[in-house]
Amino acid sequence: AADKINLIPQDFFAELCEQIIQHLNHKISGVNTAELCQRIQTSGIEINVGDLAKIVNVVSFLFSTAARNNLSTEELVTTLGNAVSTLPKHAVQVIRHVWNEQGKSISVSEDARNTATVGQFVDIKWKLGVAMSSDTCRSLKYPYVTVTLKVADPSGQITDKTFEMTIPQFKNFFRQFKEMAAVLETV
Amino acid sequence: PSGALSSLPFLQLVSALHSLTRHVVYHGLTRAEDILALFPENFHQNLKNLLTKIILENISAWRNEAQASQISLPRLVDMDWRVDIKTSSDSISRMAVPTCLLQLKIQEDVAVCGNSPVVSALTVELSKETLDTMLEGLGRIRDQLSAVANK
Repeated sequence: AADKINLIPQDFFAELCEQIIQHLNHKISGVNTAELCQRIQTSGIEINVGDLAKIVNVVSFLFSTAARNNLSTEELVTTLGNAVSTLPKHAVQVIRHVWNEQGKSISVSEDARNTATVGQFVDIKWKLGVAMSSDTCRSLKYPYVTVTLKVADPSGQITDKTFEMTIPQFKNFFRQFKEMAAVLETV
Repeated sequence: PSGALSSLPFLQLVSALHSLTRHVVYHGLTRAEDILALFPENFHQNLKNLLTKIILENISAWRNEAQASQISLPRLVDMDWRVDIKTSSDSISRMAVPTCLLQLKIQEDVAVCGNSPVVSALTVELSKETLDTMLEGLGRIRDQLSAVANK
């Protein structure tokens, strides 16, 4: 992953580290890896989402380990230097700066949210549509609901899952969530 | 009928029937007279009526099938959920945090997978806050549906 970090311009890498630290601080629900990757690609850099995700994992692990061991900025940089000699200077600079500013405020796990082992639901986006016509039916008029769930995986990276439902399916979907909420109230 | 059915006319027959039924479904024909009108003038009267009757009986099933197999985004096929209380973890010895676990089974586009549909499971955790976010979003879909239905 270290050689891929070379590809990322400093300001994007800084943004990446910012998001990671904010996620570890529970200020944001996750790291928008896919969206960041798209912006990096638009600026002309060839990097794929998989590589960026690996980098996010590595940096995230670095920061959380440093937090757990209460490392000072200098200790972090020293450890980094010992582990990875091929990191570009600008990356080390960014890591040092971000850790200096916000590293101390990472509270190490006195929090129920850290016990996640599955993806955490973040947000829902939706669309209501009607399929008018298709190659099998000239006049379909088939209503459906399209939903995109944003989920933060255990490493904190946000991915989207998109799917369709028929109207009866949607009504059932809604009903199930209302039941869940009712149960949560009583628990 | 006696004698062996020779292959080519039989295939042509199946193909013709297929075209006929596809035409009926595509154009959404629902009345007997519209279907009868599709047959040539000198077509065997009883056979024509029988075929029309069978087609009419099957139309809604075929139409539903067409809707179900049209190209689409992946579809939700199943959903299961569970409400838990987290009582302890390696970092916190005592707590009582209610949490929802949701598992959605999502099937990839039928048109792409054909006879071997790929179903993936998405397991997601929701807290009380994120569950409220979900409910809010779903409530808005429901409101929009009612608004459209009332137009």
